[in-house]
Amino acid sequence: MSLLTLNEATIKFGGLVAVNSVSFSLETGDLFGLIGPNGAGKTTCFNIITGVYAPTSGKIHFDGKDITGTPSNKIAKLGICRTFQNIRLFSSMNAIENVVVGGFLRHESTLGSALGYLPSAIKETNKLRSQAMELLDLVNLADVAESRSRDLPYGKQRRLEIARALATQPKLLLLDEPAAGMNPQEKMELLEMVRKIRDELSITVLVIEHDMKFVMNLCERILVLDHGEEIAQGPPSEIRNDPKVIAAYLGEAV
Amino acid sequence: MIWARNRIISLVIGFLGLVLFDKFILGLSASYDYVKIVVMMCGVFVTLAVSLNLINGITGQFSIGHAAFFQVGAYTCALLSSSVFQSFSQKQPVLWLLFAALFGAIGAAIAGFIIGLPSLRLKGDYLAVVTLGFGEIISIIVRNQKALGEAYGKPVDKIHSVFMVWGLAVLAIAVCRNLLKTAHGLSFLAVREDEVASSAMGVNVTKIKVTAFVIGSAFAGAAGALMAHTKAFVTPQDFSMDVSFIILTMVVLGGTGSITGSVIAAIIFYIIPEKMRDLPPSIPMHVPVAALFGIIAAVIGMRAVQQKIHDEKLKAAGLYVLSMIGGTIVAFMLNLLLKAVPPLQATIIGSNLRMPVLAITLVVLMLLRPQGIFGHHEFSLDWVKGLFKRKSVATSGGIAQ
Repeated sequence: MSLLTLNEATIKFGGLVAVNSVSFSLETGDLFGLIGPNGAGKTTCFNIITGVYAPTSGKIHFDGKDITGTPSNKIAKLGICRTFQNIRLFSSMNAIENVVVGGFLRHESTLGSALGYLPSAIKETNKLRSQAMELLDLVNLADVAESRSRDLPYGKQRRLEIARALATQPKLLLLDEPAAGMNPQEKMELLEMVRKIRDELSITVLVIEHDMKFVMNLCERILVLDHGEEIAQGPPSEIRNDPKVIAAYLGEAV
Repeated sequence: MIWARNRIISLVIGFLGLVLFDKFILGLSASYDYVKIVVMMCGVFVTLAVSLNLINGITGQFSIGHAAFFQVGAYTCALLSSSVFQSFSQKQPVLWLLFAALFGAIGAAIAGFIIGLPSLRLKGDYLAVVTLGFGEIISIIVRNQKALGEAYGKPVDKIHSVFMVWGLAVLAIAVCRNLLKTAHGLSFLAVREDEVASSAMGVNVTKIKVTAFVIGSAFAGAAGALMAHTKAFVTPQDFSMDVSFIILTMVVLGGTGSITGSVIAAIIFYIIPEKMRDLPPSIPMHVPVAALFGIIAAVIGMRAVQQKIHDEKLKAAGLYVLSMIGGTIVAFMLNLLLKAVPPLQATIIGSNLRMPVLAITLVVLMLLRPQGIFGHHEFSLDWVKGLFKRKSVATSGGIAQ
């Protein structure tokens, strides 16, 4: 059974059809790429999957459940978490606090115990903090755990977002342009990190990326969107030579 | 159990402190009752500021109708103590205070829940307008209900207890501080920082916003109930829009999100206007005019200083003092000059200067320290040390890079 299935998902904003009848499915353990020119509807696809928008028509199934129109926070609880194209960290909080918020949905103490500062709340908080520290270690940010997240350099902020998303213990991780603004060295490290997340944590990854070299190296299957519609789907080797994809990116020969 | 031991120690110290304060310091004062009421009202405003800080500062919901919850609490208590619980409140006044606070809190919490609901859909300015409107609705209802005493108000039994008032303030502080120490508090802060991202991380934004409103307004309601018994009278003027703005001002000036900031700002901004009542009844006009120019001179001086030096805190502090002395000298010189101007020889009533002075204090503070007294920080020994250390940290960071 597929982990995530989009079945003819469509979303319209007034007259604009941002995503038009897109269908694809992810198997557990996939490294799936979503590419397309600017304005193709990639991020909108993410927003539909994570419940920021409800699709106008079509269905989304995750892990055997229909999640069409479910609110974001419940979808996160079910096991889908994401990063954002324009980094959305909790900017005045520490790096480690950002990750703790990610882990908050799996915590087990009540608000009452937090207000009374009871041992159960302290224990849960400490547990979340140590989990967060492990994740920061995983993304090589342990040394800046106490720095305010807005003070971190761009590449580190991107990695912190990944750590925060991982803290929710997702089954499916959606990365929205994780390599944007990174230098080649950082991109290589990111590539290794994403592979490690898939292999060691066995998390399925769906990634949007503009850097073709990065996507082709990383992903095992790729879906290409243009003007909200699917134009190709398959392994990188096929996508690379697909005339429709080349036309979408470079324009057609006159 | 370190947490239990520390807490018991701090509770004992706090309790002893209050006893000493109540028995000796208050007893020494000639106008015992007046000082006692001022001390209790300080406690009420501390509770109000800290509870509004939970909504505005920590959760980031812009509410400017806090006086409404305060009013709901006060009137709930006034109604109950004069009807159902009349005999109980007269026989057991102190025990009744406990119940009054509880009933006030429940009444206001219900109001907070209702006003919290639109906040799920509204943000920023729009929510502010709704809370403002809610405050006015409550105020107009009260002014027009016979049972609530209409515009005249309603007498309440006089029950004074510094313990209860400050106990409530301490409880409000403790609740907010505990919240911020745990992962729950971080999720409140996350809602303030970015709702979309918090929701994507599985934080139930709706629940957190409503919770903040309910807890914040419950404390305001309890404070209202205690204030009703402190002043022995409730009238709609005690809960006008101005009160909402004064509480909001306390939160902003203390530094949004900073609990200690709210506490200190609440005390300062309750005491200043209160103390100004003691000003002499007739002051020649040239004195405040000269003072105003002195303040402007001092502010300009300090702004210039601030722009010149960023990190060298100690030197900056020295120059702050210098520019304040400069401002005083300017005021003094002008005073001598302006004395000769005939229209400025007219006199004004000193206590009329209360609100202008408060307003000028606000303007000056916002010009010199827009992030509030403490910014996002809490007052602590580490914070004070940090002020002096920042410079050396900055330079070492520069070398490391």
